[in-house]
Parts: sequence; structure tokens; C-alpha cells
Amino acid sequence: MSFEQKVALVTGSSRGIGAAIAEAFARAGADVVVNHRSAAGSSPEKAGRVCERVRALGRRAIAVRADISQGEECRDLVAAAVDGLGRLDFLVLNAARAPFKPYERLLERELHELVQTNFVGNLLLLRAALPWLERTSGSVVFVSSLGSRHYAPSYPLGSMKAAMEVVVRDCAESLGPRHVAVNAVCGGIVRTDSFKTLRQVWEGLESLPDDVLVEPEEIADVVLFLCSPEARAICGQTIIVDRGLGSRLFR
Amino acid sequence: MQNLIPAETAMAEVKRALVETLRVDAARIEPGTSIVRDLGAESLDFLDINYRLETAFGIRMARHFFLEHMEELFGEGTALDDNGRLTDRALAVARLRYPEAAVGGGGSSLDMDEVAGLITVRALAATVMDILATLPEKCACGAASWRVSDGTHIVCGACSEPAAFTNGDELIRQWLLSLPAGARSLASPQPG
Repeated sequence: MSFEQKVALVTGSSRGIGAAIAEAFARAGADVVVNHRSAAGSSPEKAGRVCERVRALGRRAIAVRADISQGEECRDLVAAAVDGLGRLDFLVLNAARAPFKPYERLLERELHELVQTNFVGNLLLLRAALPWLERTSGSVVFVSSLGSRHYAPSYPLGSMKAAMEVVVRDCAESLGPRHVAVNAVCGGIVRTDSFKTLRQVWEGLESLPDDVLVEPEEIADVVLFLCSPEARAICGQTIIVDRGLGSRLFR
Repeated sequence: MQNLIPAETAMAEVKRALVETLRVDAARIEPGTSIVRDLGAESLDFLDINYRLETAFGIRMARHFFLEHMEELFGEGTALDDNGRLTDRALAVARLRYPEAAVGGGGSSLDMDEVAGLITVRALAATVMDILATLPEKCACGAASWRVSDGTHIVCGACSEPAAFTNGDELIRQWLLSLPAGARSLASPQPG
């Protein structure tokens, strides 16, 4: 009941974890805004298919293209969500984009893009969504990864994940009085298409036993929990969903 | 250099990787076929295709396109302008690297995301052969005899250790550094 008649906006939801989160919201009764960045390639088609699956679950869905690294597109995304579905209750900051290179090899352009997309853009979108989230006493969930707290080769995105986890901690305090909950989910090795990228960058990834891999739906389940009334006493936290991978000294 | 694995084997494995990754009919795959434009591959598909080739041959394909290597070697802005489009110098290099792709005729440039569209089946097989050609003279154990295992893996005839090849990124860098300065003067736009 807590998701019925409500609206979720999930950034980067044409595939992978984002798509799983979008569909989980739909199963729970919410309408969904499916966001993707590219106008070309297969993203629009994939976003469309996610929308179809949401509609097949009896919910409304719209696909909105927006590059969240751009402030104006963040504002347009929120406007499209509210114009299309009437309100905004849940903002899931899932979209991320970064090259797989050690920090010292990042070009200046790549450094700016890293910060713009994965830090500035998330904050601009949060700011644009805030008035609507206040009206509904809504929730924000940021999707983080173990790179925020563990070294991983050629993974500068981890620094942005760490920064955003601090944003989550701090915004939970500043937005709590405004009745907007802010938390994060930190995923381990999640079985998505991105695994194909990771296995080429992280030697030995494929030798990890299957039982440490996390399914996208398992991330989605925790995102929804954090958006539910049952999580009302959880404030500014990052919940780690990694099958214990980050805790093991011996693997 | 190596003469243990023929070009036909590289081509056959490339076709197999394309069929398995892209789930296309093998009959659609010709040497001149563009992997992106004709077969619909995306960036993640390239990762999968490369992974299959790496597993097949025991090699390491490049992780980055020549554009990134140009920017690292020659300075930011040498390959891409502020709008993410290839500079004249990068276009000239692209013509040298993908001679059958008819790059950038009529003064127009390419967006960086379009570069993958230049890669043909033949070019991908040639990349595999280029990496295999870096077969060392000797194994680390000192033996100078190699043999083929499983049809696609070159291993030491003495200790059976897999051969260590130069990785694809390093080969791209070596190739870029081998180009004469002002490579734009070496290639002119293709007609049409």
C-alpha cells in the first residue's frame, strides 16, 4: 500500500540495476519515470521496453531522456516527471558514468566529466526534485558501490561514490526536518552487463564464486525498503548489499 | 612474428565471437562488414567480443580506442575538440588505421562515438593477428620452441606456459609513436 499512487524517478534505468529498481517500484504499485542519457544507440529502445514491462504490471511509465550532468536537463527531467505523472515521491540516483582508468591517467576532460556526472549532476537533480519531494514527504536513495570504501583498480568512480555517501549522510540531516529521507544502497559485484566491463579491468573477477554475486533485484529490494515506512528510523545510512564480499579477508 | 596461427583462424574466431555475442546469422558476416553499422554492436558488445577473443587466443585486446591514446601521448585536444568531435589530425590517423572505412570525406568530421563504426570484421581479425605477431622469440624458461594448443593457444614447447604477447593498448601506442609527425599529411580524404 505504501507505494500505490506514488511516483518514482530512477536515473539510468534503461538497463541493469536501474531497470530492476524501476520494475520493483512498479510491482510495489508505483508509477515510474525511466531515465536514460543517450538519444542514439539502444538506450531509447531499452528504456521503452522497461516502460512496457512497467505498464504490463498495471502501472504508468514514461521514458525521459536527460543527461544528468547538465543542470538544465536535470530540471527538465523533474518537470517531465511531474508533468507526466503528476507528482514525485521517490528519487533514485542510480545513473553513473566514468572511465576505467587509474586517476593519474585521467585526462582533464575526463576528470571534469567524472565529477560533473557523478557528483554535481546528482546534487543538481536532488535540488530540482526537492520541492516535489517535500510535498510528498518523499525519499531519496543513492546507488553506491564498494569502490566507495575499498580499492579497486582503474575505478575512479569510487571516489565519487564515497563523496555521494557523505552527501547522503549530510543531506539526511538537513532534509530530515523537511520530511525528505535520504539514504544509500552500496552494491557489491552486481550481475549486470557492466560485469563485462569489470571482468576486463579487474583481473580475477571471473574466478569469484557465484555466491558472492548480487542480482540487480536484490539491490532493488533494498532500495524499495529504504523508501518504505518500515525504514523510517534509518537516516543518512549506506546499506551494503554485497553478500559479504567486502567483509572477507580471504576470498 | 609468428606463423603458427594463420589469419584464417583469427577470422574464424572473430566470426564466432560476433555470432555468439551479437546473436547474428554467420551468413551476415563478411570481412568488410562493419561491426557497429551492419551488425548493431554497442560498446558493451565490444567488451564481450574482445573478451571472447582474449579467451580464445590468450591475448589482451586494447581497452581504449586510439583517440584516448593520442590524447595521452600527444596532449589533450589533439584528438578531440571541445564538442567531442575528431580533430583533423585524429581523422588522418583514423584513415590510416581504418583504410577501408572511407573516413570523413567532404570536410566533415566524426563524433567520438562514431569511431567504433569504422571497425570491420577484417580490421578486428587484423588486430588479433597484430597481437599474435608479437610472439616473443623465447619463452621465459629460455626455450625457443612454441606450439599450438587447442588450435588457438600458443604455448611453450618446453614448459607449456602460455606465450606472453604485447597487449593491444601498448601496440596502439607503439603504432601512434611510429607515425611521422604531422600524420595528417599522409592521408587525404576518401572520395565520396
